[in-house]
Amino acid sequence: MIKTSTQNELIQYVYDDLADDAYEQLEGALVQDMELADSCAELLLIQKLLDEAVKAPRQHAINNILNYSKRLSLQS
Amino acid sequence: MNTTTTLISDSALVSLYIAGKESAFEQLVNRHKNKVYTTIFLIVKDSYTAEDLLQDTFIKAIHTMKSGRYNEEGKFSSWICRIAHNLAIDHFRKEKRSPMITLEDGSNVFNNMSFSEDSAESLQIKEDTHARLRELIQTLPQTQREVLMMRHYAEMSFQEIADATGVSINTALGRMRYALINLRKKMQHNNIAYDKNLYSE
Repeated sequence: MIKTSTQNELIQYVYDDLADDAYEQLEGALVQDMELADSCAELLLIQKLLDEAVKAPRQHAINNILNYSKRLSLQS
Repeated sequence: MNTTTTLISDSALVSLYIAGKESAFEQLVNRHKNKVYTTIFLIVKDSYTAEDLLQDTFIKAIHTMKSGRYNEEGKFSSWICRIAHNLAIDHFRKEKRSPMITLEDGSNVFNNMSFSEDSAESLQIKEDTHARLRELIQTLPQTQREVLMMRHYAEMSFQEIADATGVSINTALGRMRYALINLRKKMQHNNIAYDKNLYSE
């Protein structure tokens, strides 16, 4: 059973939001604790999937933004 | 010939844009458009409304930067996603709509994921998986969905999220943990298969 505090650190670890000393400590624990390593792998997989699920707007919307900025620059 | 290219920081691009370099703004937009758009889409659930709000978001950013009111503290990505998040929430309030779960119509939406080497069938399977995942994100409890979007798409730190939502960092971390665990469970419950190889493209 992984402690809640360790699970929270694992979240910070996969999001690169962990202090250096805690980071090294957790990496040490990941080598020794298979359950922790499995949890980490699961989180990384979901993280990867969330990255892939990003949607893109149509180019038309982007062109509108860029043209607006250019028009504003010309006016000022 | 040296082909190494250095990625210019967001902060430097903002400075160049304020100094009048339009190409710097184009780089900023192209760098952040997908995460900003996804942040909005996950709230409003409509591609056309999301595109309108995406434009409003960047127009607001343009005026803030050009008028010298841009605060360089914090990351550009967090700042722009916060504007997007607030505009999307405002839109909901104005429309007086409750966050209903609707099926996503992705037929009109260009998706730029790199699928060039995949077959048409596997592309469709991937897109279906991603569309269903986006639907599942929308079914998460509001507090969990908020933290997930702030951390994953707006790239805010957990401390920034805690400050923005008025909770402790441990509460923010707990919400994120439950969001990811719930997503995983929902995927299993809905028989959504996904590639379990961390290093595949």
